[in-house]
Amino acid sequence: MEEPVIGTRAARWGSYLVAFVITAFIFATALYASNYFNNQRISDIRSTQDDISIDILSLETQFDLLQEHSCSDVAENTILPSELSSLGNQLSYMESQGPKDQSEVVRLKRLYSLLEIKDYLLMKQLATKCNLKPVFILYFYSNKGDCTECEKQGYALTALSETYPQLRTYSFDYNLGVSALQTLVAIDDVNNKLPALYINGQTYYGYQSVDDIQKILPQLKTLQKSAATSTATSTKKKK
Amino acid sequence: MIGLDIMYAALFVSLYFEVFMLLAFIQSRMTRVARRIPPIKELADYPTVAIVVPCFNEAKTVAGTIESLLALDYPHDKLEIIVVDDGSTDGTFAVAQHYESERSEGYAAATVRVQQSEYSSRDPKYSEHLIASVNAGEFRGGVPFTPRVKVFHKENGGKHSAMNYALSHTQAHLIGCLDADSIVDSSALKHIAPVFQNPHVAAVTPGILIKKPETMLQHMQNAEYRLSIFNRFTLAFLGSAFITPGPFSIFRANVVRETGGWRHGHSTEDLEMALRIQELGYSIGNAPAAAVYTGTPRTVRALFRQRVRWTYGFLRNAIDYRHMFTNKKYGNLGIIVLPTALLSIAIAIFFFLRVAFYAVIELSHQITRAQILGIMPHFSFNLFYLNTSAMWFLIYVSVALVLVLISVGSLIGTGSRRPPAGTPFFVLFYSFLVPLWLGAAVIRAAFKTGVRWR
Repeated sequence: MEEPVIGTRAARWGSYLVAFVITAFIFATALYASNYFNNQRISDIRSTQDDISIDILSLETQFDLLQEHSCSDVAENTILPSELSSLGNQLSYMESQGPKDQSEVVRLKRLYSLLEIKDYLLMKQLATKCNLKPVFILYFYSNKGDCTECEKQGYALTALSETYPQLRTYSFDYNLGVSALQTLVAIDDVNNKLPALYINGQTYYGYQSVDDIQKILPQLKTLQKSAATSTATSTKKKK
Repeated sequence: MIGLDIMYAALFVSLYFEVFMLLAFIQSRMTRVARRIPPIKELADYPTVAIVVPCFNEAKTVAGTIESLLALDYPHDKLEIIVVDDGSTDGTFAVAQHYESERSEGYAAATVRVQQSEYSSRDPKYSEHLIASVNAGEFRGGVPFTPRVKVFHKENGGKHSAMNYALSHTQAHLIGCLDADSIVDSSALKHIAPVFQNPHVAAVTPGILIKKPETMLQHMQNAEYRLSIFNRFTLAFLGSAFITPGPFSIFRANVVRETGGWRHGHSTEDLEMALRIQELGYSIGNAPAAAVYTGTPRTVRALFRQRVRWTYGFLRNAIDYRHMFTNKKYGNLGIIVLPTALLSIAIAIFFFLRVAFYAVIELSHQITRAQILGIMPHFSFNLFYLNTSAMWFLIYVSVALVLVLISVGSLIGTGSRRPPAGTPFFVLFYSFLVPLWLGAAVIRAAFKTGVRWR
């Protein structure tokens, strides 16, 4: 325990200054640490994007070589949809949590959209050449606050992806301003009535539930369900 | 984005004040020889002290309060206990009177018995005379003997009126208050009295601890009170104490008379008196070793009522004493302490509203998510999604500093650095309770609704 204390209240300007310097140092450290971890995340994303770029390049090369080789050499799931999906989630997280200056995140997001388009086109070509039956959904959303049902739509697509890991869902920020994306929007004739799903050559506007999508896309039944879902289903059946 | 900027500004202010207080404490340690248990200074001539127990319907607790005062280690002829029953409707007056008539004499007799042994060798008959004199209410050895407990009853007029009533019925040099829900350590007064040797000191506050915390809420308050011990000590070092709490703050009686006695002070006479003392240029010291154990609200409702009163009182008194805010004349108190105390109310409310706003949004997201993905949570841990924003770093640092301050408060008040058991709950939950009463108090203060004690 301390002895009694009495002090003079004369202003301690020196203490004010020292406290200010220490507080500023704490703030600077916090900002530096936060910036450091953000940069780490961005480099993680960049590294994943580089991997995907290499995968796509590899797929393109394989595709070019198809003339000389059989389709059996090209696997349908060369680029795992989950890898793209995980990258999308990471970018979405960075966009919601990141600092005020989002230019780097937006740049990565544009690159991500291009990779998605590239993967989509390649898979379509592969499907034609090798008689594969990949199931695609193109999802157009907006996060400018003008799409109230985009959040729900995102969850519904997440639910589908979890049930059908081989389902290839490509999400595009409608307002991203990537020329290739604008061309895709123009070709598929997607209007600004978001959320919009492009499935089997037709565009569906407004929220589509999991059941709605399953009705629109009967090919989903041909896909293998995830282990968790299968187990749950089989357990249910046993009852 | 402006909300985020305000958050950072608010965090800077909060952190700055925490750092400033911690620095002041370190300075106080550096300027004094630190000793774990301070020796009690034995004075050659102790000042006379009157301890007032103002009570309103305190029949259940007043006995313990008086007992603890009677057990004070202080020259008996220098200590006066004045119980002022402020219009109670329960048995408070009867309980207090019991001490006035019986126990007091019992203690007096005990005193005499001790002295009897001193005198017996010289004059065996003298002791008999003493006892007879005491029992007859006569004088003893030139020193008038008065019962140590005086009990008065008056119309209900509030705590300040009870204090003024007692002030007009005593000639003691020092006058203090002990709320009827508190008890005092026997050595408390001997820790406080020597501080008044400094002529600039008009008041001395004690170290306030919680009396037997039982409920979770009381355990959380226990941690809060340790923080208050730190604050009271450091503010005294900075000459900036602006509250002289009800439990056992002791005042120089002539200064209280000079300043016009206690005022209603918007139901916080202890805060108003402290501001008035500071305004007049006197010092308020702190003797943390003078331990007082006070009762605390057991329920959220009772706590809410108490804290609305405290905050309301601070806000209304801040308006009355607004000339002290940012005024260099009042040193640390005017420049940093009072403005920060006021700002901290706004900051706490802003934090709460912002957190509540985002919590509601997040909840709506989770409900939407659960409707589509099911209510089963998805357990997955990925370092990538660990929130490492600067805001969280600063909140972690701020919470860590609060823990340090609670630990220092424990060291100052109890001699042990160990924070009380309720500290984690205090850190986790208390900050969500505080803005509720702050908000209610701000609204009440804005409309001058007044507040009641109970």
